[in-house]
Amino acid sequence: MKNPIRAALESCDVLITVGSGGVGKTTVAAALALRAAMEGQGSLVCTIDPARRLANALGLQALGNAETQISTGTFAQAGLAPRAPMYAMMLDMKRTWDELIERRAPPDKREKILNNRFYQSLSSALAGSQEYVAMEKLWELRTQRDYPLIVLDTPPTAHALDFLDAPNRILDFLDNDASKWLLTPAMAAGKFGLKLFNLGGSYVAKTIARFTGTETLQQLADFMLNISGMNEGFRERAHQTRALLEAETTGFVLVTGPMPERLDEAIYFHTLLQQNKMKVAAIVVNRVHGPVPDALWGEVARLPPSTQAKFDQTLKENDHLARQDARGVAKLREACGTTPLVLVPRFDLDVHDLNGLYETSRWLWGDRQLELAAQGH
Amino acid sequence: MVEELADKRLVVVTGKGGVGKSTLAAALAMQSAREGLRTLVCEVNAKERISQLLGRPEVGPEVTALDENLWAVNVRPQEAMREYALMMLKFESIYSAVFENRVVRYFLRFIPSLQELVLLGKILFHLREKRPDGRWRFDRIIIDAPATGHAITFFSVPQVIVDTVPPGAMSTDATWMRDLLVDPKTTGVVLVSLPEELPVNETLELHAALASRVKMQSALVVLNGFIAPRFTPADVPETLPEGLKQTARHHMARSDLSAACLERLQTLGLKVVTVPRMFTPEFGRQAVEQVAARLGAAK
Repeated sequence: MKNPIRAALESCDVLITVGSGGVGKTTVAAALALRAAMEGQGSLVCTIDPARRLANALGLQALGNAETQISTGTFAQAGLAPRAPMYAMMLDMKRTWDELIERRAPPDKREKILNNRFYQSLSSALAGSQEYVAMEKLWELRTQRDYPLIVLDTPPTAHALDFLDAPNRILDFLDNDASKWLLTPAMAAGKFGLKLFNLGGSYVAKTIARFTGTETLQQLADFMLNISGMNEGFRERAHQTRALLEAETTGFVLVTGPMPERLDEAIYFHTLLQQNKMKVAAIVVNRVHGPVPDALWGEVARLPPSTQAKFDQTLKENDHLARQDARGVAKLREACGTTPLVLVPRFDLDVHDLNGLYETSRWLWGDRQLELAAQGH
Repeated sequence: MVEELADKRLVVVTGKGGVGKSTLAAALAMQSAREGLRTLVCEVNAKERISQLLGRPEVGPEVTALDENLWAVNVRPQEAMREYALMMLKFESIYSAVFENRVVRYFLRFIPSLQELVLLGKILFHLREKRPDGRWRFDRIIIDAPATGHAITFFSVPQVIVDTVPPGAMSTDATWMRDLLVDPKTTGVVLVSLPEELPVNETLELHAALASRVKMQSALVVLNGFIAPRFTPADVPETLPEGLKQTARHHMARSDLSAACLERLQTLGLKVVTVPRMFTPEFGRQAVEQVAARLGAAK
C-alpha cells in the first residue's frame, strides 16, 4: 500500500495536525512541511506554540504573525537542500483577533469593540475562540497566498469538540434566533438596550441581572450591537471555513502517543472527525518504543556479573515499554478501521532541530518503518 | 502528607496534559484520607479518570464515597450551573421558568467565564460546607485541575470577574473565591512535570503565570517519570557488543535529561519530589499506591 503521508501530500494542499497536547503535534507538522519542501512542494507551517529550540531551529524567534522563509543558510548548516522554499510562522492569537476586527469592523465601531470587555474575554477566554481564530488564519492564508501546501498545527484542545465546533460556535453566537430576535428590532429602532430590558416583561432580565448585575447585561448588549454589523461577514466566513475543512484537498493528520491514556482520546477524536465528514489522511503514532532485538538477551547473558543485572533490568524495561506500545497500536488499529497508521519511534532526545525533523519525516514518509514488539506478556 | 501541603485545605494539582496529574491527585487524595482527613477529590469537566485509577465505578457529577474518608466528584458545567442557580434562586420552579428559557440560555452561554465560575464555585462551596456538629464536611479538597493554559484561564476567572463585572451576586461570589485561591494558608498548588524539555518549559511558565496573573503560590513540584542514573562509562567498555552499547547510551541520555530537567525545576526554589518512571502493566491502583509511597518517603 502506498505510504499514506505521501498520498496526502499529493492530494492535499492543506494538512491539519490535530490531537491532545504533549504528543508531538508541532514536530509532526513541521516535519511534514519540511519533507514537502525537500520533495519540491513549497510549504508553510503555521504553528501555535512551538518549543523554544524548535522555534529557533526554524528561525522563528519572536516573529509573531509574520510568515518567514527558512533561509538556505539555515538548511545548509543542517546539510539539507530543499527543492522548494519552506516558510514558517507562529500564530499570535490575540493579534489575529485584533486584525480580524480591524479588517472587518466598520471604522466607527473598531475602537468600541476592541475596548469592550466582552470582546477581550471573547478573544482570549471563550472556549473555542483560539480554535476559531486558527481556522480564520488558515482561510486567509489559503485564499490570499499561494503556498502549494499549508500545514496547520492546531492548539492543544482540552476537548476535541472545541476545535471542530469552533466555526459552528461563532455561527451560533451570531445566528441564534434569540440574538436575531433581540437585535433586529433594536437595530431598526437604533436603540438596543430597551428591547433587552423589556424581555419577558423584564422578569427574566431581572433574574439574570441578579447573577450578573444590570450593567453587565448592558455591556453585553452594547457589544452585540457593535459587532452586529460584522455578522454577515462572520457568517459567510464561518461557512467558508467549514467548507474548507470538509474539502477533498484538506487532510487531517491525527497525532497521538501509544500510551493507553492517550489512545482513548485519539479514538474519540477520530470518531468525531469522521462523523463531521473530515478526511483523516493518517494517524501518526509518535514516540513508539521499538522491540528489543533478540540477540541482546544472549549478549547480556554473557556479561560479567558486575554489569549483567543493570543491562538485564534495562532490557526488561525496554521490552515492557515495547510490548505495551504494541498493544496500544493494535487497539488503535482495531478502533480506527481503514484509516492508515504511521509509526514514529521514540528518539533518545526531543526533536529540536532541522535534522531531527528530517529524521522524523523519514518515518512519516515511509523511508523507514518501525517494527512492533510481540504483544504478549 | 508532604510537609508543604500538610496545612492546606485546598490542593490544586496542575501541569501539562499527559504528565500524570490524575494519578498524582489520586495519590494525594488517598494519602490524605488515610491520615484521617475527610477528603474530596474533584475532576473538572474531564473524562473521568480518578475513580478508574482507584478501581471504582464512575462517580459522575454527584459527590460519591470511594473509600473511608475519601469522596470524589466530576464537576460538569450543566449540573454546576443548575446547583449554583438553585442556591441563589431557592426555588426549582423559578429555575425552570428562567433558566430553561431559550433566550436566557443563549445569554448565559456568552456571559464571559460564567461556566468556569460555576464550576469553581461548586468546588469551593464544598470547602465551606459543615456537618450538623459544626465540623467541616470536607477537611481537604484536591482539585485535578485543567491542563496548563486552561488552568490559568480557569483560576483567573474570579479575578477577571471582580475586575470586569459590576457589583452583583456574581461579583460578590467571585471576590470570595479569589480570596480563597490566593490565600497561601488555605491553598497550595502542586505543579506536575515530566523530564522532557517541553513539559519543563511549561512548568516554569505556569509557575510564573500563576504567581503573576493569578497570584496563586505554588507549594510543591512533582517530577514524574524520573529516570535515575544507572550506567557509568566503566559499564560501557570498547569491547561491549554494539547493541548493548546503544542500550546503555540510550539509558544514559534519558537519565542525563532527567537530571537536567530536575536541575531546571529546582531553580524555582520549591521542593521537587521525583517519582521514578514506572514499569507497571496498568496505570491503576498499583501505580497510585507507588506514587503515594514515594510522596510519603519524601516527607
